[in-house]
Amino acid sequence: MLTSQDDLLARYLHAVQFWLPKSQQRDIIAELAEDLHSQLAERPLTDDEFVALLKKRGSPMQVAAGYLPDQRLINPAMMPVYRLVLKITLLWVMLPLLVIVFAGPLLTSAHPGEVIVGFWAEAWRTVFTVVGIVTVVFALFDRYNVKIRGLEDWNPRKLPRVPTHSEIAARWNHLAGCIFGMIAAIFWVYFLWQRTAFSFPGGVRIILGPFWKFVYWPVLVITLTSASADLLAFLYPCWAQVRSRVRIALDACLLIIAAIVLRAGNWIEIDAPHLSPHDLAAVMTWVNLSIQISLVATALIACLDALIEVRRLLRPSGRPHTPIAGVSL
Amino acid sequence: MEQRVTNTFDNIRLELRRGCLVIAVLAQLRSEHYGYALRKALEDQALEIDENTLYPLLRRLEAQGLLVSEWREEEKRNKRFYRLSTAGEQVLPDLLEEWRQMNSALEGILGAAK
Repeated sequence: MLTSQDDLLARYLHAVQFWLPKSQQRDIIAELAEDLHSQLAERPLTDDEFVALLKKRGSPMQVAAGYLPDQRLINPAMMPVYRLVLKITLLWVMLPLLVIVFAGPLLTSAHPGEVIVGFWAEAWRTVFTVVGIVTVVFALFDRYNVKIRGLEDWNPRKLPRVPTHSEIAARWNHLAGCIFGMIAAIFWVYFLWQRTAFSFPGGVRIILGPFWKFVYWPVLVITLTSASADLLAFLYPCWAQVRSRVRIALDACLLIIAAIVLRAGNWIEIDAPHLSPHDLAAVMTWVNLSIQISLVATALIACLDALIEVRRLLRPSGRPHTPIAGVSL
Repeated sequence: MEQRVTNTFDNIRLELRRGCLVIAVLAQLRSEHYGYALRKALEDQALEIDENTLYPLLRRLEAQGLLVSEWREEEKRNKRFYRLSTAGEQVLPDLLEEWRQMNSALEGILGAAK
C-alpha cells in the first residue's frame, strides 16, 4: 500500500510529466524522482515537511518549464523592425478604412449609428488581422532564419541622412497635406461612391461619363497613398526622402490618369428639360471646357510637384538637425 | 519603487549567476557526480543551486556536448552520473581563462573606484 508521501510524490511527478515533451518524460522524471529519494534518504520527513519540500521545488508546470527550450515567436533582434512594419501596415490599412468604411458612408447614410458600429467592428477585425499576419510573417522569418537584407549587410554610408532643419519644420506641412488628402478622399468617396449622376432642383441632371467609374479607384488609391506618405513623413521626418519618392511616383500615376481622362472626352452629359437645345449645347461646351482646363491644370500641378520633389531629393537644403543635445554635427 | 529595485536586483543577479554556474558545474564535473551529489558538492563550496536550475542546466550542457552521462545503479538505486566530455575538457580551460580575465578587470575597476 502506498504511504502518504509515496502518493504525494507520485502525484507530483505525474503532474510534472504532464507538462514535459513526450520524448524526454521518462528520463527527466526518473532523474527528478532519484533526486527527491536522495533527499529523503538523508533524513526522514514528516508529511507536512514533505509537502513543504515539494512546494519549495515549485509548481509542476514551473519545474517542467525549466526543461523546455527557450521558445519565442519573434527574434528579439527583429523587434524594432517588427514594430515599425506593424505601425506602417496598420497606418496604410486604417487610413483607407477610415475614409471608405467610416467617413464616406457617415456622410451619406441615414443611420450614422450603424455606420459607427460597423466601422468599430471592422476596425477591430482589421487590427487583429494585420497584427496576426505581420506576426506570423515575422515568426516564420525567425523559424526559418530568414535574413533581412540591409540589416545584416549594412553600410554606414547608406544610413538615412539626418533630416535638415527645414525638413523638420516641413513636417507640419506634411501633416497639413495628410489632413487635406484625407478630406479630399472623403469627398471623393462621398460624391462619387457608386454614383452615375447628380440631380438638381428643377429636374436638372448631370450624368457622369462611363470612364468615371474606371478612374474612381485609382484616384482614391493615389489620394490615400499620398495622405499616408505625408503622415509617415510627419511621424518620421528622416523619411522625408521616402515621401518625396512616393510623391514622384504618385504624380506620374496622376499624370497618366489625367491623360487618359483627357483623351476620353465626353466627361459629362447634362439633362435640363427647361433649356433649349441651343442653350444646352452652350452649357455643355462650357462645362466640358472647364473640366478640360481642370484636367490640364491637374497634369501641370502633378508635373510641378514632381519637379519640386526631385529638387528636394537632389539638393537637401540647410544644415542637419542635431538629434542629440550637445552633439555637434 | 522598493519592489521594482528588488526585481531589478533579482534579474541582474540571475544574469550574473547564469554564466558562473556553467563554469562551476563544468569544473565540478571534472570528476564524476550524480545530480544530487553534485548539488551537495557545490553547496559545500558555498555555491547554492536549486534543482530546477541544476537539472535543466545539466541536460543543456550535455546537449551541447560538454558533458556525458550514464544511468548506473548505486546503493540499490538507479542514478544518472555526469562527467566532463572531451569537448568539455577542451572548453573548460578557455572558460576559466575568460573568467580570470573578467575577474581581474573587475577587481581593477573596483580597486580604482575606492
